[in-house]
Amino acid sequence: MLRIPVGRATASRCCHRRDLATFASDPRWPGWQAVIGIEVHVQIKSRAKLFSQTRTAFDQPPNTQVSLFDAAFPGTLPNLNIKCVELAVRTALAMGSDVQKRSTFDRKHYFYPDLPSGYQITQKYAPLAMGGQVFIGQGRTVSIEQIQLEQDTAKSTKSISGTVTRLDLNRAGAALMEIVSRPDMRTPEEAGAYVRALQALLRAVGASDGNMEQGSLRCDVNVSVNRKDEPFGTRCEVKNLNSVRFLMSAILSEVRRHTALLDAGCPVPQETRGFDQDRAETFLLRTKEDAPDYRYMPDSNLPPLLLTQDYISAIAATMPELPSALYARLQSQYGISARDTEVLMSIESGSDMGYDGEAEKGSAVNYFEQVADGGDPKVAANWIIHELLGQLAFRNESFHTNPVSVETMRELLALLHDGTLTGTSAKTLLRHILQTRTQIPLTQLIDEMSLRTASSTSLKSLCEAAVSALPRESDVIRKGNEKVVMKLVGHVMKASRGTANARAAADMLREILLPPKL
Amino acid sequence: MFLRCTLRRQRVNRQYSTSAIPTLGEYLKRIGECDSGEGGTNAFVSIDSTQGLVSPTTASKSLAGKSIAIKDVICTSALPTTCSSEILRDFQPPYDATVVRLLNDEDATVIGKTNCDEFGMGSMNIHTSHGSVINPFQTSSSKVPWRKREQRSAGGSSGGSAAAVAASMCYAALSTDTGGSTRLPASYSGIVGLKPSYGLISRWGVVSFADSLDCVGIMADRVSRIRSVFDVLAQFDTLDPTSIPIIHRERMSFSIRSRMKDLGDNGQKSLQGLVVGIPWEYFPAEMSQYIYSPFNTVLSVLRQLGASIKPVSLPSTRYGLSAYYVIASAEAYSNLARYDGIRYGARSSPEEGSPILDAADVYALTRSHALGAEVKRRILLGSYALTAGAFDNYFLQAQRVRNLVRADFDRVFRISNVLAGSSASTEARGAVDIILHPSAIRTAPSLMPKSASAAEGLQVYVQDVLTVPASLAGIPALTVPMGYAEDDGWPLGVSVVGQWGSEELVVNVGEAIEQNLRIHDETS
Repeated sequence: MLRIPVGRATASRCCHRRDLATFASDPRWPGWQAVIGIEVHVQIKSRAKLFSQTRTAFDQPPNTQVSLFDAAFPGTLPNLNIKCVELAVRTALAMGSDVQKRSTFDRKHYFYPDLPSGYQITQKYAPLAMGGQVFIGQGRTVSIEQIQLEQDTAKSTKSISGTVTRLDLNRAGAALMEIVSRPDMRTPEEAGAYVRALQALLRAVGASDGNMEQGSLRCDVNVSVNRKDEPFGTRCEVKNLNSVRFLMSAILSEVRRHTALLDAGCPVPQETRGFDQDRAETFLLRTKEDAPDYRYMPDSNLPPLLLTQDYISAIAATMPELPSALYARLQSQYGISARDTEVLMSIESGSDMGYDGEAEKGSAVNYFEQVADGGDPKVAANWIIHELLGQLAFRNESFHTNPVSVETMRELLALLHDGTLTGTSAKTLLRHILQTRTQIPLTQLIDEMSLRTASSTSLKSLCEAAVSALPRESDVIRKGNEKVVMKLVGHVMKASRGTANARAAADMLREILLPPKL
Repeated sequence: MFLRCTLRRQRVNRQYSTSAIPTLGEYLKRIGECDSGEGGTNAFVSIDSTQGLVSPTTASKSLAGKSIAIKDVICTSALPTTCSSEILRDFQPPYDATVVRLLNDEDATVIGKTNCDEFGMGSMNIHTSHGSVINPFQTSSSKVPWRKREQRSAGGSSGGSAAAVAASMCYAALSTDTGGSTRLPASYSGIVGLKPSYGLISRWGVVSFADSLDCVGIMADRVSRIRSVFDVLAQFDTLDPTSIPIIHRERMSFSIRSRMKDLGDNGQKSLQGLVVGIPWEYFPAEMSQYIYSPFNTVLSVLRQLGASIKPVSLPSTRYGLSAYYVIASAEAYSNLARYDGIRYGARSSPEEGSPILDAADVYALTRSHALGAEVKRRILLGSYALTAGAFDNYFLQAQRVRNLVRADFDRVFRISNVLAGSSASTEARGAVDIILHPSAIRTAPSLMPKSASAAEGLQVYVQDVLTVPASLAGIPALTVPMGYAEDDGWPLGVSVVGQWGSEELVVNVGEAIEQNLRIHDETS
């Protein structure tokens, strides 16, 4: 939502002083500096809405998750859901923000079908947390201005003819956090990195799914440009960007638009703009003169939110592991590569958090840690990433529907390790489980599918069969061309349906066909 | 003639009647006789005639068999809740307000819903979609039939509840009070009205006018009934975020009881040692001169009972009315934004072929048609007070005045305000137990067209000048009848105002006035 907090002007001034010294241009717009700040609206992953007991189940049929309060019936009153506060405090602590002992709720007024009461309850005058920072990689950090709690709106959709507006109140009154950054970013890439870092942080603490496509994280971006030794330029706000790619594209488009205007000697007018995804450019929504007056006032139904140091400390003491700490720990503890760590952490938001910040231990990282426990972590990482996740992706299934339990995966890797299974038959077995979701014990399944690694006697007969099946190739090998051994090995593997150990088969074939080495 | 006689006799005898409380059927009969037709009070907007059939009579419950009228801004699932507004013309909430539930829990009977000013905005109960309420009172000197009596306002906004009580159409009535909406009609109608401390009675299910000021009020023809209903309703409610937690209630109850013990209250209602403050600022130029004599009579009664009278100053009172109208209007602007005709209530359909551009046009059409003039006036006032350019000068300034008004009261009361925090309690405290002042600046205003047009102007707001300070401070105020104005013979009320949470003391003092004024009347 468009908002110019009182405190922001001061913040911009102090950033301004600092940034005159650290002018950051970009080869794409030499001589210019782009200044970017982002307001992010995050849907809090709470079971119930911010001020009512209604479930936050947005996938339900329209207007089924609505209480009298959500629909703004007369005489109903708000009741603060403390779980939402807790998740916002977690987020604030994860960013090093200063959680306010006293914050207050205000009303922001406007008439629109998506706002049943005609006002949104937000925290304009005294937000929940102030300050803080987010690490975005390459040694860069983005400072946070403030974090505030507020209500989400309903969803309104217009019919194709444009004459009917349809309303779904399921989302009305759900909890949002607005996280306002300082204008600390200088390139679209930094802005993208900031949003990604924020997503990882929100998921780690369980505050939100942070999913831009599904709308649980929405961005408004402020962009201005200035020349060296000049103060920041006039900023424009681009609203409702729903992917990191569009965010970056919108910034790019704005920087180009601003520099073109200024190069032509025209001032940049302060505007609120939208983003056209197809044309990859922004368009005018309203000018500064058209900016609505939201008639903010304190909400007299909601007393100030008073948080004690004990409450804040208790939340700090039970904070889940943050992404940066997890990233470092996975590599040092298990010796897996940075690349594998990133993959594991990126699977389905990488979070072990359910509703209301409750730990669920369902993440790929947690799965990996359990499988790796007592086995070879590198093999575990390799199998989880390349075989399990690869197959799930191939089957278009998500990780949380994974039918292979930690115990099954551990057993599979143990059987692989002790030679009961060959790599090939282990893969066959994994695919079979994914396909059939069978509950049959692994050892029974191995016998039923005849996947046990071929014994040395059966291997010998398999090899002899291959030699007689491929006499010409066998002759070539006898003449000393060892490369052709692999062709016979292929025949053995095929005939054994993968149960043969390829290396053992090659050794056996050499033994049969070649004179013993002296 | 029957009605007039009944009303007069009742006025004389009601406080001391030992006869049984009328049954629901008798009240319904009374409503049939008095409420409609020429000169009828027009107090009720809906009656629940099915209630009597299932009326429980568990004698153990404190309100068993008692018929209570409910102001039509309080939600009831059995009867429509219109707020006297066209915009909620057919609105029947699927829920009961907490206060209604508490009454039902004590086996009270909700007899019907009462007329009021639209959403509680007004001082005369003339701004209503149900037609004005007519005060049932008739002077003893009047020679015309009751239905032809002088038509005066029953006061507002809870005029219907006041008239229902004054004409004996119910045992007691629930009202609301935002800036005087219980006390003014009670004073004009010659009955007792309590505006409790803010936050003691749940507002859940009470349609908001101004959240920070709204209180559920209680009206009855005698103080004892107010007490019995108040005791049922004053409960902590988790559904109301402004409901005061039990710990504060208990702390206040403890300090008020220990003060009453000091005063030697052992059921004798002695006022020995009670210090009654009379605020200088509560006798403005607009006040009728005929109020002084009955007010002085009350003071001598209190002195006879052992109380001492002490002049006090509440200097911020003069700014209270302006601050009240800014705050109340701003909150009304906000609270009434939900009435857009989309999810419930009336919706105005655009005429065939008229250009409807977007949802805002539909809202504007509905709100223009279905909200009354006074409501629209206050919405505009509140809307202005909240604009970015005016906010500091109006809304914030009004909040500062509100704090000063609160501080004024805290300074004069002996008992400290348990809600004010530790800083205030260390300040030197005043010496006053309660404050006493006339409830209104005049008797009930006329409903004749000439005066009604004058009531459209801003001067009508002056009626609230004595009642808004207690609303701004959130403290209890009880108005009890103090006699009749010498010039027109109409009733006058006197207000007993106490520190936050001191209802027990306030109600006792009110009862002492009620019981001893009679002795005084008879001896004088």
